[in-house]
Amino acid sequence: MTKPNTGELDPQDSAGSEIKSYTIGFTASLFLTVGAFAAAMSDLPLRWKIACICAAAILQIVVHMRNFLHLSFSGGQSREDLLLVLFSATLLVIMAGGTWYIMSDLSGRMHDTDAAMHEVQPR
Amino acid sequence: MSQQTSPIFGNLDWSVTPYTDLLRDVNSSTIVGAGAASVLVLGALFGIVLLTWMRWWGPLYRNWLTSADAKKIGIMYIALALVMLARGIIEGFVMRAHQATALGTLAQQESGLVAPDHFAQLFSTHGTIMIFFVAMPLLIGLINFVLPQQLGARDMAFPVLNQVSLGLTAVGAALVMISLLIGKFGTGGWTMYPPYTGLDFSPGEGVDYWLWAILISGMGSTLTGMNFAVTIFKSRAPGMHFMRMPLFCWTSLCVAIMLIYAMPALTVSSAMLALDRYADFHFFTNDAGGNMMNYANIFWMFGHPEVYILILPAFGVFSEISSTYSGKRLYGYTSLVIASMSIAVISFTVWLHHFFTMGQSAGVNIAFGIATMIIGIPTGVKIYDWMATMWRGRIRVTAPIVYLTGFFLLFVIGGLSGIILANPSIDYQVHNSTFLVAHFHNVIIPGVLYGMLAGIHYWFPKAFGFRLSERWGRRTAFLFVGGFVFTFMPLYVLGLMGMPRRSPTFQNPDFMPWMYIAAFGGVLMLCALASLAWTFWTSYRNRDALAVPGGDPWNGSTLEWSTPAPVPEWTFPRIPHVTARDDWGECKRAGDPWRAPDEYRDIEMPANTAHGLLIAGASFGLGFAMVWHIWWLAVLSFLAIPAIVALRAMRVIEPRIVKAAEVELADRRFRQQVASFAPATRADEETERNRGVPDLSEFAG
Repeated sequence: MTKPNTGELDPQDSAGSEIKSYTIGFTASLFLTVGAFAAAMSDLPLRWKIACICAAAILQIVVHMRNFLHLSFSGGQSREDLLLVLFSATLLVIMAGGTWYIMSDLSGRMHDTDAAMHEVQPR
Repeated sequence: MSQQTSPIFGNLDWSVTPYTDLLRDVNSSTIVGAGAASVLVLGALFGIVLLTWMRWWGPLYRNWLTSADAKKIGIMYIALALVMLARGIIEGFVMRAHQATALGTLAQQESGLVAPDHFAQLFSTHGTIMIFFVAMPLLIGLINFVLPQQLGARDMAFPVLNQVSLGLTAVGAALVMISLLIGKFGTGGWTMYPPYTGLDFSPGEGVDYWLWAILISGMGSTLTGMNFAVTIFKSRAPGMHFMRMPLFCWTSLCVAIMLIYAMPALTVSSAMLALDRYADFHFFTNDAGGNMMNYANIFWMFGHPEVYILILPAFGVFSEISSTYSGKRLYGYTSLVIASMSIAVISFTVWLHHFFTMGQSAGVNIAFGIATMIIGIPTGVKIYDWMATMWRGRIRVTAPIVYLTGFFLLFVIGGLSGIILANPSIDYQVHNSTFLVAHFHNVIIPGVLYGMLAGIHYWFPKAFGFRLSERWGRRTAFLFVGGFVFTFMPLYVLGLMGMPRRSPTFQNPDFMPWMYIAAFGGVLMLCALASLAWTFWTSYRNRDALAVPGGDPWNGSTLEWSTPAPVPEWTFPRIPHVTARDDWGECKRAGDPWRAPDEYRDIEMPANTAHGLLIAGASFGLGFAMVWHIWWLAVLSFLAIPAIVALRAMRVIEPRIVKAAEVELADRRFRQQVASFAPATRADEETERNRGVPDLSEFAG
């Protein structure tokens, strides 16, 4: 779908496929955004709602990377693109995982007495 | 807020200036407030009159404000930072003066120069300004000026985006500045932790000024980071492999990566706080499911990489100057590269040490404490590398070397107090005390400020064609070192004695001797600021004697020293083919470095554009309108930004072509000039004999 983004592109040659790629990306993003809202407002159980929103969010990221940022796993730039994705993923895992770690610990010590006792007790 | 919001003027009315406070009650606090506002107004008036009188409006607009040249944008960043630095240092002095008079008694607790609320505004603006509008513009400006020249690039990858970033940063600075005159600034410190900064406890415009200044300038910094990264990845000269890049480029790359990944966290935390304040959300409120601790979490996810964003460019500068002024090759290039990259990545794993005492369990604290101590290792590697670079070198004690020496002595102390604070159980004892204040000033002033001033001194001739006065440069450096020692060493002692930070008053007379010493240090800092200004002025007056048209006053070894000083807008007549690390030094070793290129070609330069100015204007409208709840203006400005971008996107924009003949004429004149100068030896470096053409036989780098 997306062309490998190597070197010079001929504007005449690529304009059509560029527009096509952007249109597909825009439509997909629109659907995924509306889908997330629909899931939030639906009668689904909470667990399903969260799962739906997370899935839509991750798909949205993939769409943005492919169709708007022109990341690609083929072509001369693929190695750099892969490194970029892996590095971003590492940092996001550090940030999101760290937040999860810190906030769940704090929350356990503030509200949930069982969890708090469990943490404070010497092992 | 009690009064009605007017549909046209929002919450603005005549009672928001500090003059109203002065009229209501004349005391030292309101006099200081009105005085600061008057300095702002008079300064602005003076600037306008000067520009009109000298007929500088046209040249300012044509040559600077609409220029997309990274070198000029860099200089404008630094000019902005120096203006803000003046305000920041003066505020610091006012705080020292206040605390030296703030000894209260149990009967009369409030005393001192300014009122508690005013003091809180002072430390909030001081921190905000020094981090976001002094340190950041200084380093972004320096990178903008130096990076393309060192990489052998003509310009940044996105010159107009660069202009937009500068505009957004300037808007943030302007919002903070204007809060002196119109309304008040927030009182929550530079971090603006909720719930105190939520609508319940901080109604009014103060926190909003901070929020919009941070949101708008933070956007600019993110864009800058992308620009730097793309420039380094895509615009290097042919042959400039990664491991041939000068170390300043490497640290710039680290900064770019950290800006891209850290700034969004700040934008997110500020946007969430803004939603709390404007749209009745409950992200960080006490009730309705809010959790204010997540603010600290997200904020420091940005905040810790931020301190390494600040320090790494300074490390880059120190790598350049320690090598150049010692006449030696940089020791341990590879280890410095690895250390810089390690710092960039590890800095994302330590943020919790800014809130050890927030209540998480010991295991969490230990994990982040260990990560924090690990980050000291690459920094230590660097210090040893620079010392090894200078070891047995022919060191010239120029102003940058004074800064470097001050950095060695003081930064290590600051780093060690950081290692102490990294231990959570010790942090519990000294957190929120002036020990912490002493620690972070001890890393930021000798690190960032000394590094940036050393860099300005080092590259100044490249920008303006004349050197800065070494004598006054050294005096300034000594004053900054002395001012630092006297101001902040007492704060370590006071912190250990139990003095809380940000405290407008205290009742312990034992603090007073240390307060007086710190206040004396504040006076020295003011002297250093004046001396810095005088350095620029006296050098400007002696610019003929200090001129270095040869362009290589320090016998350097990186590409930027191959061009004339001041550097022409096209930088290189032909993009150089790089064959070695320190390519210019390699040319020197090979014999005649100033060989003219074989042929000259037309050069494409980005055309001047007012795009950045327009975006900045619209963003200022947006920020100011949101602060004062002037909804119509906010909507208008917000819509104007995409409209301006779309308008530019629909136009065909032709680059400006510099004709080959023009380049050839200028370049040939430069080469003749170089040939006509007598080479200056190391001993002549500070004298008039240094015309920017060094004695190549002395080159050993």
